[in-house]
Amino acid sequence: MKTALLPDGLIRTLAGQALAFVVALSLGAVIILMIDESPIAVFMTLMRGAFGDAEKIAGTLLQTTPILICGIAACIGLRGGMFNVGIEGQLFLGGFAAAWVGFAFALPPFVHIIVAVACAILAGAAWVAIPAYFRVRYGTNEVVSTILANYIAVLLTSYFTIFLFKRPGGWSETPPILPTAYLPELFSFSRLNIGLLIGLFLAIATAAFFRWASAGYAATMVGSAPKFAEYGGINVRKVGFSVLLASGAVGGLAGGIETLGVHHRFMEGFAPGFGFDGLIAALLANGSPIGTIFTALFFGALRAGSLLLEVDTTASREIITVIQALIILAVSADLMMRRRGDRTGERRWKF
Amino acid sequence: MEVLSTIFNVALIVATIRTTAPILLVALGGSFTTKAGIFNIGLEGQMLIAAFFAVLGSIWTGSSLGGMVIGVAAALVFALVFAVLVISFRANEVVVGLALNILAGGMTISLMKAIFGTRGSIVGRGIVGLPKVQIPGARDILGPYTQLISGYTPLIYVAFIAVPVLILIYGRTRLGLYIRVVGEKPEAAEALGISIAKVRYTAALLCGLLAGLAGAHMSLGYITMFTENMSSGRGFMAVAILIFSGGDPWRVLAGCLLFGFADALSLRLQTFGFPSYLVLAVPYTVALTALFALSWKARPKLIRETIETMQRALSVHPAKSETPDTSSNRS
Amino acid sequence: MTFAVELKGITKRFGAFTANSGIDLAVRQGEIHAIIGENGAGKTTLMNVLFGLLQPDEGTISVNGKPMAIDSPAVAINEGLGMVHQHFKLVPSLTVADNIFLGMEIRRRGLIDRAAQVERTRALSQKFGLKVDAQERVAGLSVGIEQRIEILKVLARNARTIILDEPTAVLTPQESRDLFQTLRSFVDDGMTVIFISHHLEEVMAVSDTITVLRDGRVVATRPKQELTKRELVRLMVGRDVSFDRRPRHIVQGESVLEIEDLWARDDRRLAALKSATFSVRAGEIVGIAGVAGNGQTELAEVLSGLREASHGSAKLHGKELVGCTPAEIRDLGLAHVPGDRLARGVDRNAALSTNILMGRQKKAPFAKNGIINWTVVQDEMRALIKRFDIRARGPRDVARSLSGGNIQKVVLAREFTAGGDMLLIDQPSRGVDIGAQEAIHDEIMRQRAEGRAILLISTQLDELKALADRIIVMFEGRIMGVVDGNTMDEDAIGLMMAGVDPSDVKEDE
Repeated sequence: MKTALLPDGLIRTLAGQALAFVVALSLGAVIILMIDESPIAVFMTLMRGAFGDAEKIAGTLLQTTPILICGIAACIGLRGGMFNVGIEGQLFLGGFAAAWVGFAFALPPFVHIIVAVACAILAGAAWVAIPAYFRVRYGTNEVVSTILANYIAVLLTSYFTIFLFKRPGGWSETPPILPTAYLPELFSFSRLNIGLLIGLFLAIATAAFFRWASAGYAATMVGSAPKFAEYGGINVRKVGFSVLLASGAVGGLAGGIETLGVHHRFMEGFAPGFGFDGLIAALLANGSPIGTIFTALFFGALRAGSLLLEVDTTASREIITVIQALIILAVSADLMMRRRGDRTGERRWKF
Repeated sequence: MEVLSTIFNVALIVATIRTTAPILLVALGGSFTTKAGIFNIGLEGQMLIAAFFAVLGSIWTGSSLGGMVIGVAAALVFALVFAVLVISFRANEVVVGLALNILAGGMTISLMKAIFGTRGSIVGRGIVGLPKVQIPGARDILGPYTQLISGYTPLIYVAFIAVPVLILIYGRTRLGLYIRVVGEKPEAAEALGISIAKVRYTAALLCGLLAGLAGAHMSLGYITMFTENMSSGRGFMAVAILIFSGGDPWRVLAGCLLFGFADALSLRLQTFGFPSYLVLAVPYTVALTALFALSWKARPKLIRETIETMQRALSVHPAKSETPDTSSNRS
Repeated sequence: MTFAVELKGITKRFGAFTANSGIDLAVRQGEIHAIIGENGAGKTTLMNVLFGLLQPDEGTISVNGKPMAIDSPAVAINEGLGMVHQHFKLVPSLTVADNIFLGMEIRRRGLIDRAAQVERTRALSQKFGLKVDAQERVAGLSVGIEQRIEILKVLARNARTIILDEPTAVLTPQESRDLFQTLRSFVDDGMTVIFISHHLEEVMAVSDTITVLRDGRVVATRPKQELTKRELVRLMVGRDVSFDRRPRHIVQGESVLEIEDLWARDDRRLAALKSATFSVRAGEIVGIAGVAGNGQTELAEVLSGLREASHGSAKLHGKELVGCTPAEIRDLGLAHVPGDRLARGVDRNAALSTNILMGRQKKAPFAKNGIINWTVVQDEMRALIKRFDIRARGPRDVARSLSGGNIQKVVLAREFTAGGDMLLIDQPSRGVDIGAQEAIHDEIMRQRAEGRAILLISTQLDELKALADRIIVMFEGRIMGVVDGNTMDEDAIGLMMAGVDPSDVKEDE
């Protein structure tokens, strides 16, 4: 238990993860060859795009922020035994809610940020509340319900943006938020803002919560052995509901930070795929919030690098999505695991 | 009233049948995996990849049949990867399914960019759509209602014929029986020397076959084009249907008709000036509502004993009709 | 003399653990050959090797004098071997006939011929005197009938040698007696029966030859006549073990648990617990006897708050338990050792200290202001390992790595130190070896001496005989009668377990 924030069996996990990376990257190379590009050139371009200079590194961190916060949202769900695949939707609603507070109300600086962020959090939590209620009360599969809710969230926010709050003269975007609601930026040359610090703090706080808080213990037990938790007097439904709500709230927060810190408005398709990237980052980190910091950074770098990729080569930036998916597939196979004889070997979300 | 009658007419039924078919095909595919005890969230990706390769195949071969075969082959490859990881490597099925969906999305866009040099969609360029089947003699019998049964693309007929075929497979064939057994009680299959892995692989590939057909229908059926993420959640709706139908073909059909109707209706409403974004959300909302409503309906209800139930419970006792008197200790 | 089955030098290892080591076993044709041993002695592994579910690392197998490699159940079936597993492998949604012919369906034109299957099932059922309704669905049939179907399944495959793995675990004494008669008739027809059990009495009752396994080795193979029960135990355990009634002082405490007209429904929403009324006093062990599945589980779940009662009341120290959550019931002073230990009692993948924390994660000294002090938890776990003689390296061991008996000790340690004065103990020695069983019984008696009220649910009469002050017998959810532990009459209990009121029988005589 002295390993504190790091889970047991870390070495084995890391070795397995590394092997999976190698397999996935080689598969990725094959696919890059298939589309007539040189894998090395693609890789170098990605690296240059991600870490080429200070501005590029800031860009990477800028992409990392929402992935990290979404990843923490996923981690919270996974630890409590819930697959929140609806982070994407919570992100959109949180983003819209923050933008709405940002442009519709005039509040003093700082207070404005707090209120906007709070609304984002509330919106995210509210969006997951119904699937969460049905999950814990009636056993409705949360994977499917949250995925379907994503589609509705995206369409709903688009509707709000285009039909109710369209910027006069603009295309599909809301009016810009007031400067009082801008998140403080960290450097002059980038939009990188304190959202990153919020994400890092949140990762550490989440890890500590699951490690040392009584409530964190209850949530972990509900996730890993629900029948045992029920027997031990933990209110499994209440904990499960809270876990999903917290996960949704963090998803909403991610959206709020994205609008208040980066775009300063809400627009159609403002943050595509961050929710899924976050989920993948969390899965790759095996549900560990600290691990998610690193996997989110990796995915952030891929994303930042892919922008240059599209400029410098003919490859599409979606090639990084392919690489991400391949990594997850390779990791899910758990190549390091010795296959045991028992065919009923239990597997939870740990993959 | 007039508005209602323009919305609800024969054309709406025809539109429902048309929109039902792809989701029915993919849901029936998922029925195999569901019955075999695999939660297959990867239907969406299998459909999408098939839709893309069907378009590609029809350009390459210059025939819609060729396109369909190549599309199905692509879906089968995805189904095989899913099966290898989930069945042989025993990876988490939700993770693998989601990853394959993401892979399908990224791969189709990357390949589109690499092959066609564009983003967004592929239209024209020599894509050959599926022909429409005219049933001979239908016009003479049905008159204005001919379009109810005639003039669809072949895969629509396949989708609806697949329902009774699946019922036959589950009810009367060895394969269907084994799929059910493997899903319901794998240890029974194992003890009798039935290979669980083999049956599950078969189910996963059959699923890929039907999902592939669904994808091919999407891009070669009524519209002959491919668009980024054109499956737009149909695969997930199919999973929702599978959850509350348990993979039973009749119930799958009922669920798919509901969604097909919602889809057709929403398309219709769009032409009446409802905000398109809200109208587009109708099928997802219907799916979600159905999912919630049916799980609410299946909730366990607490039963309290009444005098009547208590008497009944005690009177069926074989040896004695009276409650044994245990309150006074015999010891 | 040809042997129906002959194993020579069978060794099977799982990693570093040797489940079977150099086992020689020869089963004569036309005999009932019992294989007896404790849990973990290697009986099931051996039978899985014989049946082709596992491959031996060393050794040879001969069937009817022919040496052969049995690399899948299909080969074993082909050679006339049939296995009736301990846990039935029937598909609930299929009919009896479908289940019997699963894997060897009768087909006509590619489709399954249901009528022919039903026909053949009826013929088989008649021939062997095993009554079943071929067209009924298996879901909802009693275990006795399920076992008949399993035996028919084996017979339909023309088995001449039938292996039964712990066949009586779920049967009433009467059903067991019927089963033994059936087995006898098989042997009279020239068939061979291999009977696996850890139940001394029935092995003595039914078998011709007995092979005793211990720690994966054969310790003896002898005709039944040459063995006594006491000898058998010594062979199984390697030392003398007493199953005698534990000596005790009469403690007349006040009534702790009062149950009145308590009803509950099972997962299928059928009445499973019917009008239970009894009480448990401090310093008293009340045993609940009955064949598994006669409402004991539901009783335990209702008392611990895991299942809602459908009627009636249960009072602990005069406070109503019905309608309370498991947490509230724990706070009222009820500790619960669950019957389904691996699902309910522990998180198998978690460390022992994580397991021991359950239920007290908010309580001092383990936590303060909602923050867990892991150092205290570890120290507590270390102390419990010592006090309950748990065979573990330390508090960080994962529960899964412990043996069944030691996992049970972890559960007991947690529950007995939770401060409750009412102990609800469900199947304390299920899947526990005899050595650990003794220690567990000692601990239960110690708790009794400390004045705790104990409700002990067990399907093993020996256990109740050794421990209980009073024994309540349940059948189909009803209390059939209460027997004094000191003067218990096993026949009377056996009748009650089968649903017959002993006073009725006496009146008939």
